[in-house]
Amino acid sequence: MLTKVKTATLSGVKAYPVTVETDLHKGMPGFNIVGLADTTIREATQRIKPAIMNCGFHFPNERVTVNLVPAARPKEGSHFDLPIALGIMMLGEEVLEMENTAFLGEISLDGKVNPVRGALPLAIALRNAGIKNIVLPRGNAEEAAILEDINILPISDLSEAVDYVAGDRKLQVYKRKKKTDEGTRDCPDFAQVIGQESVKRAIVIGAAGNHGMLMMGSPGCGKTMMARCIPGILPKLSYEEKLEITGIYSVAGLLSEEHPIVQQRPFRSPHHTITQTGLIGGGAKPRPGELSLAHRGVIFLDELGEFDARVIDAMRQPVEEGIIRINRNLEEVVFPSRVMVVIAANPCKCGNLWDERKLCTCTPKQIESHRRKLMGPFADRIDMHIKVNPVDKEKLNEMRLAGRWEDTASMRAKVVAARVIQENRYRGQGFSCNGELDEKGIKQYCSLDEECHRMMVSAYDRLNLSMRGYNKILKIARTIADLDGTENIEQKHVAEALMFRIDSDMQ
Amino acid sequence: MKETDRIQMISLGEAGYPSRLAEIKNPPNQLYYIGNLKMLEQPCAAVIGSRTTTTYGRNTGTAIAKRLAEHGVTVVSGMATGIDSCAHNGALGAGGNTAAVLGCGADVCYPPENDGLKRELECKGLIITEYAPGTRAERYNFPTRNRIISGLCEITVVVQARNRSGSLITAELAAEQGREVMAVPGNIDSQYNLGNNKLIKEGATPIISIDDVLEPLGLRRISAEMARHKLSDTEYEIFHLLEEHGEMGIDEVCYHIGKEPAYINPVISVMEMKGFVFTALGKIFLANV
Repeated sequence: MLTKVKTATLSGVKAYPVTVETDLHKGMPGFNIVGLADTTIREATQRIKPAIMNCGFHFPNERVTVNLVPAARPKEGSHFDLPIALGIMMLGEEVLEMENTAFLGEISLDGKVNPVRGALPLAIALRNAGIKNIVLPRGNAEEAAILEDINILPISDLSEAVDYVAGDRKLQVYKRKKKTDEGTRDCPDFAQVIGQESVKRAIVIGAAGNHGMLMMGSPGCGKTMMARCIPGILPKLSYEEKLEITGIYSVAGLLSEEHPIVQQRPFRSPHHTITQTGLIGGGAKPRPGELSLAHRGVIFLDELGEFDARVIDAMRQPVEEGIIRINRNLEEVVFPSRVMVVIAANPCKCGNLWDERKLCTCTPKQIESHRRKLMGPFADRIDMHIKVNPVDKEKLNEMRLAGRWEDTASMRAKVVAARVIQENRYRGQGFSCNGELDEKGIKQYCSLDEECHRMMVSAYDRLNLSMRGYNKILKIARTIADLDGTENIEQKHVAEALMFRIDSDMQ
Repeated sequence: MKETDRIQMISLGEAGYPSRLAEIKNPPNQLYYIGNLKMLEQPCAAVIGSRTTTTYGRNTGTAIAKRLAEHGVTVVSGMATGIDSCAHNGALGAGGNTAAVLGCGADVCYPPENDGLKRELECKGLIITEYAPGTRAERYNFPTRNRIISGLCEITVVVQARNRSGSLITAELAAEQGREVMAVPGNIDSQYNLGNNKLIKEGATPIISIDDVLEPLGLRRISAEMARHKLSDTEYEIFHLLEEHGEMGIDEVCYHIGKEPAYINPVISVMEMKGFVFTALGKIFLANV
């Protein structure tokens, strides 16, 4: 006697379909699961037997063998409980055609079906494999129902699934409660930041071209506050992006029934004590790190100088390539990490270096090592240096009265317009923003006319620009021109870009 | 060649002994030196200050040394970190003469991180000391060394000094030796400027523009007026604003001019390249033209 039930398993933020084969034959009663199952799945033997019996069903008093196909790829997750249990109960019974239906869910001893981690990526993989119906825990229904071309059939306990399989009960296709709710953004509005118009301008440029930004300034001048506002000015997420991000959060187990879908661009601000694994992802069973959780959003490193230098270095490649590869003995796991990097740093360890009113207590050695951290290999990914000054209290009042400051809505409009121009220009090139241009792209898209070229040469001399700095200025100038809506880079664009250059000595 | 072979010696009374130094109350009996001793017969100015400084101090120190060197003045300092290094580098950058008076043997590099600067000074400038080769840098050597710095020079410029900086000792010695003492005024909020501001209070000549240092040496001031017709209207407006208010953040400039940063940013960049302003610490400073 043999049954087959469809399900899937996770590999990083992706998943692949798995068939649960169950066989019953005469012999010493026993229950074995084979096919590279992890501990959670092997423990299922202990969960499923009592659950089946507590629901009032019969557990075969013979030898049960469960095989997970393909047998050579590792499988993990408690969501195998439901397909395995059904596989056993279908043995020798008359059941519906199950070719187009998949099952996932964790079972309690009383037969209740609990929500699982990674429901969305699992559902996506099953959909791509041609599955039409997915039976899953009610707690995962809202999340998986973001997929519009597949039937989500939520259940609360095992007997519902059994009745469904036996054809005794029809399950209701789940409909999402709210179609969209992207109106509410929980990040603060730039209108709350007064008197930092030049920094806001810099941020608009950075966000428009997806340039990495380093904001430098003494403690308490508003760097963190402004960074938190940034997701608000980025373009809204598309459906595909939402799917992608929700999938990552699903795997990380960060979705709840209140927030089953990620609607807004992520903003991740890891603490500076974070480990390499925490930031990049990893572990014995690889989980996404902060960089992947910030995918298509903002990763904000507050107080870069406090981070472990090796952790910062490890970020370089993922940020550059937009993906993270983690190798485990049986497979390679890939996490996405296309992020906008925003960094805040004090000018020195104690933070008072720029503030003449306070005494900087750092030794020259400390200042040097702080500087080196900011200038390390990772700094290659940072296009713009933005100086942030504290706002004078008296001037603040003056400016408040003057009342000309930008808010998130007006800034987003500019960013979105510039992004559209870039997307059209770079369509089919594998990148979409000026910040992602490589050397070749810079040559092709950031050409300068005679006048601009002369300005760059003079800047190279007078402002101590390095060759690397030179290319960054070109990329920023391209973004400023896009914000301006002009096709060619003009002198004023180059000149403004120079304001965000990286100082040779950084002091 | 051994390190010590390059070191030459001259005694008090011998021809070639720096004449201004011979005039002071307690001139050193012998001087050890590497480099061209003749530069000390040119007009000399000491440009000194604290080891810990601000960008303002470093920029001003460099600019003063540069301006002096451009006018053929030998810039004398003590090769310490901070203002002293800026003074030497400023003069070297202008291709001028500069002399470092050490508080240790001429073959000893103190502080060690200035090794590169010392090598450059040996080739293009002058290293001079009253201490025999091999003498280590001891704390108590420096105040006595300072009398040589001031003694060699007609004027002593204190660029930036903390409250108890050794530069103040040099300034005091210069005054005792009957030499001109000048000081750069600093922000009165700043800890770094207490010493130089105190000197002004006590009667040192304040330097309110870089060219002021040329005056006591009898060198002509360069006119700053010519700068005006080189600037566009907005540029001149900003220039004027900075003249009036001193250094400013971009937001303040925008606020006063009544334009948004997208308009002001490029203007500042252009002015910076023209050499009229410089930006540091997120602020715009008027360059001294």
